[in-house]
Amino acid sequence: MRTIAVIAWREARTYFTSPLAYAVTGVFVLLSGYIFWASLVRFSELCLRFGSNPYFSSQLNVNDMVVRPLFGTMGIIFLLMIPVITMRLLAEEKRAGTAELLFTCPVTSGQVVLGKFLGAAILLVFMLAVTLTYPLLIMGSGATPDMMPTLVGYLGVLLMGLAFLAIGLLISSMTENQIVAAVVAFGALLMLWVIDWMSESATITLAAVLNTFSNGLWEKAGLGTGGPTVGELLSSASLIAHFQDFRKGLLDTQHVVFYLSVVFMSLFVTQRVLESRRWR
Amino acid sequence: MLDVSGVTKTYGARTVVNEVSFSVNKGEILGFLGPNGAGKTTTMRIITGYVAASAGTAKVAGFDVQEQPLEVKKRIGYLPEHPPLYRDMLVRPYLEFVARIRGVPRRQVRARVDRAIDRCGVGDVAGRLIGNLSKGYQQRVGLAQAILHEPDLLILDEPTVGLDPSQIREIRALITSFAGEHTVILSTHILPEVTLTCHRALIINEGRIAAEDTVERLAARGGRMRQVALRLARPGDGAAAALGAVPGVAAVRPEDGAAGAFMADLAEGQDPREAIASLAVARGWGLLEMRLVTRSFEDTYMQIIRGDAA
Repeated sequence: MRTIAVIAWREARTYFTSPLAYAVTGVFVLLSGYIFWASLVRFSELCLRFGSNPYFSSQLNVNDMVVRPLFGTMGIIFLLMIPVITMRLLAEEKRAGTAELLFTCPVTSGQVVLGKFLGAAILLVFMLAVTLTYPLLIMGSGATPDMMPTLVGYLGVLLMGLAFLAIGLLISSMTENQIVAAVVAFGALLMLWVIDWMSESATITLAAVLNTFSNGLWEKAGLGTGGPTVGELLSSASLIAHFQDFRKGLLDTQHVVFYLSVVFMSLFVTQRVLESRRWR
Repeated sequence: MLDVSGVTKTYGARTVVNEVSFSVNKGEILGFLGPNGAGKTTTMRIITGYVAASAGTAKVAGFDVQEQPLEVKKRIGYLPEHPPLYRDMLVRPYLEFVARIRGVPRRQVRARVDRAIDRCGVGDVAGRLIGNLSKGYQQRVGLAQAILHEPDLLILDEPTVGLDPSQIREIRALITSFAGEHTVILSTHILPEVTLTCHRALIINEGRIAAEDTVERLAARGGRMRQVALRLARPGDGAAAALGAVPGVAAVRPEDGAAGAFMADLAEGQDPREAIASLAVARGWGLLEMRLVTRSFEDTYMQIIRGDAA
């Protein structure tokens, strides 16, 4: 436990002693702040215009019109930025030869993976913590957003960010080149982001696909060709689809479990990749 | 302390280390010698557990590297060929980090880091960025990192590469000071390093152990006779013949290139240098130089590497 903390702390320190943490946080705050400001201005304008109309004013909701777009934006910025955060985690370690230090110390590869992941998570939490000022600003402006849905939104962004970090870390473990790590991680995240675009058109069921591949044996075995379609399967693998409920302020355990599973699976495979290095 | 038996490492069809076996006792300094690409680094990496052997076992203090890697890693300090430094860290925080992941108890971290800084002479640069240090200082920080936790077994891969002569001397003195309490393995392709610091040498060539012995015995191997190199200001015509007649001199031949230079082979177990000197004075040859040439470690090494060893 102590070893994990030491590795995580060194990782976080490296982020904050290099310009990276400030560049990433700065750009993140600038973009999300701009979107926040734009939607807040639009919201207050609508309030001024329609505030006297009882029907319209009941439709005006600061959570829907300001907080929700804010979380959507954060998701997109994470998609673009997290590969930059994770690219050096393990790739740099290998290139600089410091991997030789880490793996000849009495440290397991699991501890290294967890330490690296937590170190990057510290930066992520820092970035999100800075944006906590936005809800405070709304309150300062006199409007009162519902706090619970806002916090659920934050939980969603955090979980999604952690899943992105874990995938980025996995890809960083597979190469010595940081640029390659960043590009591949970005591609993987984007792919998992848009993978549900097929969900409408892929109406064939999974069982039917298996039936085709097994030359009809599947159906003969009485397993049936019903069940979920490929499209449904793809949409449940999408990193963004699971985020939508959080944005609305809905806390559903299936989404929490999904993101935690992505984190766990990615970290597990990363550990296996590191172990396999010794045999190559 | 260290037992390596039958260690083999293959990369695809290429065998880098082939059936290497040796052992090192506590307190000993063992030199690993061999040309580049002979398998020195790979052998060291196998002992440290960084690379897994394809066959064979390495045991440190009775613990197998494969079976109980953490027990082994607790007991070793390792300086790889390229010092494993985080270029964007300061020297002291870096050493503190290494001390912590090496499992030094929290209360002792400061004292151990201070001691390592002191021993390796990096006190002047303790507050500087590692990436800005010269190669020599980086090498020293690398060494400090390896000795921080007072390991039983210290493994140094070419510890003096890239250092200037005075730094090399300091590092050698440092390594010699470890003998006794720590066991040291160091690899090098600089021969005098082995002669100066090591008790025993292991010559590796093409993945195999070509020779293993104490430095003195390796140097004496082959048993060529000793020689005396002479330089005379005014050798007469009969100088070579007269020298050959001195008791204890087996043969004399003029050296090519330099006027008045001779090389005299000595008979086994005899030292006729005094007689040669008196003769030169008596004949008025003008003795400029007389030097005993013993067969060096380098000759043995070259013979072994070329494969024409006895």
